[in-house]
Amino acid sequence: MLLISTFLFSQPYKGSTIKVLVWDETLTNAVESKLKEFEKETGIKVIFEKLPTSAILEKTALSVSADKTDYDLVAIDEPFIPQMSLLLTPYSEWPEGKIYSKIDLERDLIPGVAEGCFWEEQYMGLPVNANSYIWLTRKDIVNNEQYQKEFMQKYGYELDIPQTFDQLLDISEYLSTKGIYGFAPFTKNMEGATCEAIFMFESYGTNVLKQVSEHDFEVVLDREKAVEALKMYKELCKFSPPGWQDMGYAERVPVFNQGKVFSMFQWPAIVPDHEDSDQSVVAGKIYYGAPPAGPARRAPIRGIWTLAIPKASKNKEAAAEFAYWWSSYSTEKQLIEAGLTPARKDLLLHPRYIEQNPYFIAIFASIIDSVSRPRIEKYAEVSEIIKVNWLAGVTGRVTPEVAVDNIIKGVNEVLVKYGY
Amino acid sequence: MVTKKERRMGEKSPVLYFIMPALILVAVILIFPLLFAFGISFFNWDLIDESARGFAGFANFVNIFKDKDFWHALFLQLGFIFIAIPIEAVIGFFVAMLLNREFKGVKVIRSLLLLPVFVLPVLSGLTWRLMLQPEYGAISFLLTKIGVSQTTWLARPATAYAAVIIQDIWRMWPFMFMFLYSGLINIPPSLIEAADLDGAGFWDKVFKIILPLLKPTFTTAILLRLIDALRIFSEVFVMTEGGPGNATTLLSLYIYKQAFRYFNIGYASAMGIILTIISLTIAIFLVRKNMTMENA
Repeated sequence: MLLISTFLFSQPYKGSTIKVLVWDETLTNAVESKLKEFEKETGIKVIFEKLPTSAILEKTALSVSADKTDYDLVAIDEPFIPQMSLLLTPYSEWPEGKIYSKIDLERDLIPGVAEGCFWEEQYMGLPVNANSYIWLTRKDIVNNEQYQKEFMQKYGYELDIPQTFDQLLDISEYLSTKGIYGFAPFTKNMEGATCEAIFMFESYGTNVLKQVSEHDFEVVLDREKAVEALKMYKELCKFSPPGWQDMGYAERVPVFNQGKVFSMFQWPAIVPDHEDSDQSVVAGKIYYGAPPAGPARRAPIRGIWTLAIPKASKNKEAAAEFAYWWSSYSTEKQLIEAGLTPARKDLLLHPRYIEQNPYFIAIFASIIDSVSRPRIEKYAEVSEIIKVNWLAGVTGRVTPEVAVDNIIKGVNEVLVKYGY
Repeated sequence: MVTKKERRMGEKSPVLYFIMPALILVAVILIFPLLFAFGISFFNWDLIDESARGFAGFANFVNIFKDKDFWHALFLQLGFIFIAIPIEAVIGFFVAMLLNREFKGVKVIRSLLLLPVFVLPVLSGLTWRLMLQPEYGAISFLLTKIGVSQTTWLARPATAYAAVIIQDIWRMWPFMFMFLYSGLINIPPSLIEAADLDGAGFWDKVFKIILPLLKPTFTTAILLRLIDALRIFSEVFVMTEGGPGNATTLLSLYIYKQAFRYFNIGYASAMGIILTIISLTIAIFLVRKNMTMENA
């Protein structure tokens, strides 16, 4: 009987095929390496496509419509959830899994993660990573006795992990006399620059947009606070490595790994690169914490990736099963080895994994405080305006006042253009 | 009884059969997309939100003319064309003149000079981006050796725009060289010899004999380069992503941004149509000029 029932109930989706579109990263490579196990267990054949993060939204938009889709499951970056939500199946409508349990977003995940896929009173998918800014600081520099002594003499307080931007600025100024750069900004003409702008604005107690009704937004950027935030960022950039005006991931990771930089933000997925002693002289010397606070608060930026099922998918059950498998305790436990920062509470806060990955605690703290980028369907245009003008202000092409005025004006124009 | 018209059709039919595959291919991959783009340029066509789609008449075109970013992008694109192509033509011409003689190794040199044309644009853009990296880039290193201070070339509007143009000149001047060299070798040596006998100097020969005879070749080369330059995208995208700010957002990049970042397909199509009209106008002008010269 047992043999017959095992045969009958094994591979409950036998014959199903799903197409999955995800971003290309160590984590998704690890998921891909485990597909055979999933396919054997469920009978679902998975066609797994990976694209660079910058190309994934474009591909999704071209491949998914209201009544037709090339994919049964797509990964969506947090700021684009509002725009894509029209095409996605709300999580409440996802079918139950036959093998893996449906994840309870509010109970099973770290508080704050599920907000990444929340739009118009609904969760639009299943978040799969706990992704928010964490702050990297060189422990060995902070613990250097000579530096501690000199710093205390000059600034009148202890050299320690910077808790505020003012402290970071003091430490950066001091370290510049030792040939160490205090800070590595993100100034490439990419989404990361928008993240930096929002991070600073929020830290100084202001934000760009406020939703005032279901389809109405208004620009709420406080000019004075935004200018102060931009000025502080400019000050920090004075203590950045040469070429700071054009720094992206490709530039920031090596300068930090070469031991030239004291402190900077990073996304959790890149932390394993800093801790790899083959490519980093600072491996084991990094303290991970929440970012320094501005006058208002700490404001780490959140960037959760969500697995979403297009409304037009004909294989919703199999797609949901795959997502539940990915997010299950047993799978995520293995994915941690590949660099996953789990979104599950029971894994991120598990003492064994915290011991192996001390930055998990910092991520937990960051996620709790985290802020999102503006939540609006036309995010891409809003982001472009913030990015272009923020960078113009930071690099000195315009004054901070003009940069902030241009952000306010530009975002208002977008709102008018789309009838908000 | 077979009518004259039927006979004419029958006579043409073998020709039609031969060209039919090519015609079908052109219709499917060129004419249809062009007509489709022309059609949706009159619509609000949001790629994601189907409910927001609707006939907009000439609204997209009217908005384009009010869009200062469009004019900025068009200005940059035309600037790019009118700076890069003449410089490429001048370099190509003089190198062709230099190598239009026989000496040991000339064939190898001619072949090697063509290499940049075969480099993929995206690779060229990436390589230039790395070479211009202020701390480790080869060009930055050489410039600092001759006393130029370390600069983030791609982070300043003027230098980033210049870098994009220089990259294009480096990659495409051999294309001009190739064309002009093939034109030069077709100039009868007797004409040059006669000019030499008459005591003509170098510049006399260039301006009064060589350039007039090379005009059709020049026109064709410039026309082809122009079409290529109007489509420039990948090398600029990987070098600067259109930045800093919008300093290198050429029209092709702006159209891409509207279509695939903002998903305003109708608006982007309208801009595409305008770009096509600009390209066709320049092409027709150059082709007519070429034909006039040939007839003359």
